[in-house]
Amino acid sequence: MILLPCPWCGHRDAGEFRYVGEGTRRPDPETATRQQWRDYLYLRANVAGWTTERWYHRMGCRRYLSLRRNTLTNEVAIGDGP
Amino acid sequence: MAEAAAVARSPITPAAPEVVVAGWAVSGRRSDAALLVTDCSPMAKVALKAPADGAAARDLDVPFGRSARQAWTVGDEATTVLVVGGGPGEWLALAPPGSQEALRTRLDSTAAGAPEELVTVVDLTHGRALVRLTGDRSADVLAKETAVDVSASACPDGAAFRTAVAGLATDVVRDDLGGVRSYLMHCERSSGQYLFDCLLDAGAEFGIEVDGFSFPDSEET
Amino acid sequence: MRLDPQAGEVIDRAAALSLRWNGRAYPAHGGDTIVSALAASGERVFSRSFKYHRPRGVLTAAFTDPGCIVQVGDEPNVRAAHRLVEEGMQVRSQDTWPSLRFDVKAANELVGRFLPAGFYYKTFIAPQRLWPSYERVLRRFSHGGVVSPHPPQERLGAYDSRHAHPDVLVAGGGPAGMAAAVAAAETGASVMLVEEEHALGGHLRWGDKADLAALAELRQRVDAASVEVLTDAVVVGRYDHNEVAVVQRGLAHVHERLIKARPKTLVVAPGLLERPYVFAGNDAPGVMLSTAVRRLINLYAVKPGQRAVVLSANPQGDAAVCDLERAGVDVVHVEDARRGGDVVRAIGRSGLRAVELPGGRRFDCDLLVTAVGWTNPASLLTMAGDVPAYDPRAARYFPDVSRLSGDVLPAGGVVGDGTVDELTAHAGAVGREAARRAGFGTTAVRVPKLPVDSHPELFHGRTHGIVDFCEDVSSKDLLTAVAEGYSVPELAKRYTTATMGPTQGKLETVNVVAILAEATGRTIAQTGTTTWRPPYAPVTLGALAGRHREPVRYSPMQPWHAAHGAVPLVAGAWVRPDHYGDPAAEVGAVRERVGIIDVTPIGKLDLRGPDVPSLLNLVYVNRWSKLAVGRVRYGVMCAEDGVVFDDGVTARLGDEHYLMTTTSSGAAAVWEWVESWLQTEHPSWRVHVTPVTTSYASINVAGPRARELVARVVDDVELDPETFGYMQVRTGRVAGVAGCVLWRIGFTGELSYELHVPAGYGLHVWERLLGAGGDLGVRAVGIEAQRILRLEKGHLIVGQDTDGLTGGFSAGLDGLIRLDKLDFVGRSELLWQSQDGGHPRLVRLVLRNDTVVPDEGCQLVGRGGEVCGRVTSSRWSPTLRCGICLGQVAARLATPGTEVTVRLPDGRSEPAVVAENLAAVDPEGVRLRG
Repeated sequence: MILLPCPWCGHRDAGEFRYVGEGTRRPDPETATRQQWRDYLYLRANVAGWTTERWYHRMGCRRYLSLRRNTLTNEVAIGDGP
Repeated sequence: MAEAAAVARSPITPAAPEVVVAGWAVSGRRSDAALLVTDCSPMAKVALKAPADGAAARDLDVPFGRSARQAWTVGDEATTVLVVGGGPGEWLALAPPGSQEALRTRLDSTAAGAPEELVTVVDLTHGRALVRLTGDRSADVLAKETAVDVSASACPDGAAFRTAVAGLATDVVRDDLGGVRSYLMHCERSSGQYLFDCLLDAGAEFGIEVDGFSFPDSEET
Repeated sequence: MRLDPQAGEVIDRAAALSLRWNGRAYPAHGGDTIVSALAASGERVFSRSFKYHRPRGVLTAAFTDPGCIVQVGDEPNVRAAHRLVEEGMQVRSQDTWPSLRFDVKAANELVGRFLPAGFYYKTFIAPQRLWPSYERVLRRFSHGGVVSPHPPQERLGAYDSRHAHPDVLVAGGGPAGMAAAVAAAETGASVMLVEEEHALGGHLRWGDKADLAALAELRQRVDAASVEVLTDAVVVGRYDHNEVAVVQRGLAHVHERLIKARPKTLVVAPGLLERPYVFAGNDAPGVMLSTAVRRLINLYAVKPGQRAVVLSANPQGDAAVCDLERAGVDVVHVEDARRGGDVVRAIGRSGLRAVELPGGRRFDCDLLVTAVGWTNPASLLTMAGDVPAYDPRAARYFPDVSRLSGDVLPAGGVVGDGTVDELTAHAGAVGREAARRAGFGTTAVRVPKLPVDSHPELFHGRTHGIVDFCEDVSSKDLLTAVAEGYSVPELAKRYTTATMGPTQGKLETVNVVAILAEATGRTIAQTGTTTWRPPYAPVTLGALAGRHREPVRYSPMQPWHAAHGAVPLVAGAWVRPDHYGDPAAEVGAVRERVGIIDVTPIGKLDLRGPDVPSLLNLVYVNRWSKLAVGRVRYGVMCAEDGVVFDDGVTARLGDEHYLMTTTSSGAAAVWEWVESWLQTEHPSWRVHVTPVTTSYASINVAGPRARELVARVVDDVELDPETFGYMQVRTGRVAGVAGCVLWRIGFTGELSYELHVPAGYGLHVWERLLGAGGDLGVRAVGIEAQRILRLEKGHLIVGQDTDGLTGGFSAGLDGLIRLDKLDFVGRSELLWQSQDGGHPRLVRLVLRNDTVVPDEGCQLVGRGGEVCGRVTSSRWSPTLRCGICLGQVAARLATPGTEVTVRLPDGRSEPAVVAENLAAVDPEGVRLRG
């Protein structure tokens, strides 16, 4: 099991976390077209390499975290922002 | 209709004989085994949420990841309260059974001292199961149930963290008793029996025994 | 035959044991393995091979020995050359019928042309209708021991697991591993040393006097250092971020223990494994590796044969000759492979009788010892990123250290050769460097390079023989695979199953690659190799399962439920009372009198702060800004795709204090959902969320006499409907318990109060309600009755009447969804759903034959027979004495009065009509407002 560097709790087994997904930005619901909204809902870059992901530390600090992970090697680093 | 005073029950079925301590039905069993597990659910448990770096946090003076025994006046009594920095901006105060109302009032005064902040005080006495595991082999029992390093160097006396214990989100506090290694663990009340049974099962090879709840449950160290 | 005491023997001659082998008693000494004890009594055959059922004996005399896998009691697949004898042990050969000596399935060999490479792929493709018969036959021929469906209780409790966090973990307890562990420990690092055998020492254990002296000194140093030594334990895998899985066997109370270790640095020091040689008859009992005979003689004082021929290509082979001569074996010939010597074939089927050498030379013998080279068991290094490279000069693979993860270091035989002093000096440096990388020391340690001995390349003799002893794959099978196009190692491996048996390639990989290289005219380096994957050694399912841990949740009233015959319903982690024997009577109690339902699992979130209304407006589809203190409102949450996510009621208890409830199954998800909006989209909002689901025991008191019953137990709450009306909330004392929250809501459609009492008093209040309401006809009501009651009332259950595609308007929430709110989660999609129309609708269906209760999930079909929906909820209504259904139907059929057809599982069709209203009982809502 991979270890994730929680900025609050330190390194913990990934099983303590819920994988939320690639960091996506919510479009302005007032102006978003259907296409933009559905891109936000369903389209992911699925990068082979470094990517920014959101995880939720459900068994620990209960914080949403931004982590950077290399999907090829599972190297991980703390990202910026929640 | 004359009301018999209601007796509160822990989620953990008391090992015989059952006795009532401070209004709670608990186990009156006594054991002098070297490794003990005790249901401490009757303890008063009140949570406080506040900004991690604000005035309320300074007043409590316990950082996230640590716990401290503090001499507080709760109600009119001078009481030792275990204050646990269990999460970022999240504390839990543990005090003698029955004191939750007074403890909440005491924490409300901490909140009042930080009028600019959102400070929330919630009584979780009935919402959490609290279990104490004591003995030199207690770390070996925990190592079977959690992936977090509980060795002396990584988890010294006073350390506090939340993690999965037996697959259950559990708060762990290293709180030695008279020099003997001891861990307090609390989880959602509904899973208290499960956690207790898991510790008994994991501790079987080290000769673990149930010790009943008595108050005060610990000597001052 | 047992020899005189040997200098390094591990048997305890004072401890006389006995075991039974296929029903016959044999003597053994303490410290004997099953195989050493049986070999000492002259046994040579321990199993039959996988495909051809050829007799097999000792090959390696170690854990890996493919011919020494047996059944011990009810434990299958025990490694007999490793497992120590226990008094009275019952050992049997596996998968032989009728006996080991005479095995009917050996006929496979006569029809061997039917079992070529790719046999399964070629033979069982067609016709498909014959698959069941194929399966039956194949199963009878499958290999392995017998698993008991009823393992003894003591074994069930005896699989265990634990976590460990050593600074340095050393895999392999030979001289290199011991030296590395000692050096690391001397820096102050915590060290775990893992050795597969029953004692530390590796090849020194069966070595000469100098080896034994070096071993004694190393053992002393290990004892003096504070190293956690695990013997009879094996590192089975190295995973991401240096998670290292260790299986520990043979402990006092624990049969097998899985240790999940997370060392800061892993030192890989497995030593070298001796490689078998491929030639005709190479699997005959009596053909052994040089390490096998050295182990039998030096560790167990067993004479491995009477007359021996030795094929030697290295000093270890020469040492075996010395050992054999010392043991009194008549070494009739030594064939030196360094000078072109070779073996043509071994003769003898159930036991070696003679050996044929080049030039027509032939020697009668019962033992042929081969020492033709070494395999680098680089498995753990491969798992850490290494791609091993072949060195023809040394005739073995070496790791490419530059590709290794920085937290893994190789030591010892895997990187080179050398004297014991060279080996320990090198490994000591590796140990210090491992400790430094774990934080003990600052300057990088220079690790001396080990010399590499040259070795002749010997893989395949002049005739064809077995390459994979586990899977019975011969060199001919590999040539067939190449001829059919499977010339890449990874493909040939899968096509022939070579390297896929219990030894997992440790004995056979290099030979497989060499034969493929030969067949394709490439070099070994060009051919590449197969990838070593976990596990390094076989792992039992018991060890992986460990102690079963699955969190369970109980309500405070569970002891009462259990004592009163409740049938348990497992709902997620919760164990709930489904019913107490008669759900219909429980429904009747609620409709006619009063019932109490344990609804503790309902999710409850305590919300505080000035921005709670903003939060509620965001996550619910309806409007929340004007909820007064003391009021309760029903709300539905949709996800960003407009799909219904959860529902519940939320009460305003104080100015900035709310209590939100969720579905029982959605409690955790809603909490995370609310936190995600607060933490990621609106961090400036001042809201605190505290989950209080199990702070309260929750009891729904429902029925026309609910008010009377509640009045008897509340102390300080005014229940008059004028002051405490429908959808309102109060706090107060119930049955003497302070701090209770009372809601007036009505999932069941009856007048009802939901009492939330501090959980420790839940059982007290429950029993008080039953005691106080005897004359009112109160009874405990389970979840099944509650589900019937809500269905009669037409209240949907999220996840039952909705699914992962049910948008808000499909769930019939038209009246609730406020698209005029500026923003809320899912608004965009709901807006488009309402604009587009055409979405399926949740409706109630009235079957023409209303005694029919269709199964949930039955399809609804339209006039043309096309599927147009499904039944989502269906029960017999004890109140109306007819079936009641909810279902989702296509928009065009959703108008009340439309006819649809319900297709039952048995193919029958039942006509039904879409009803006016979701509620069948009290659609006007008079009862719950009473």
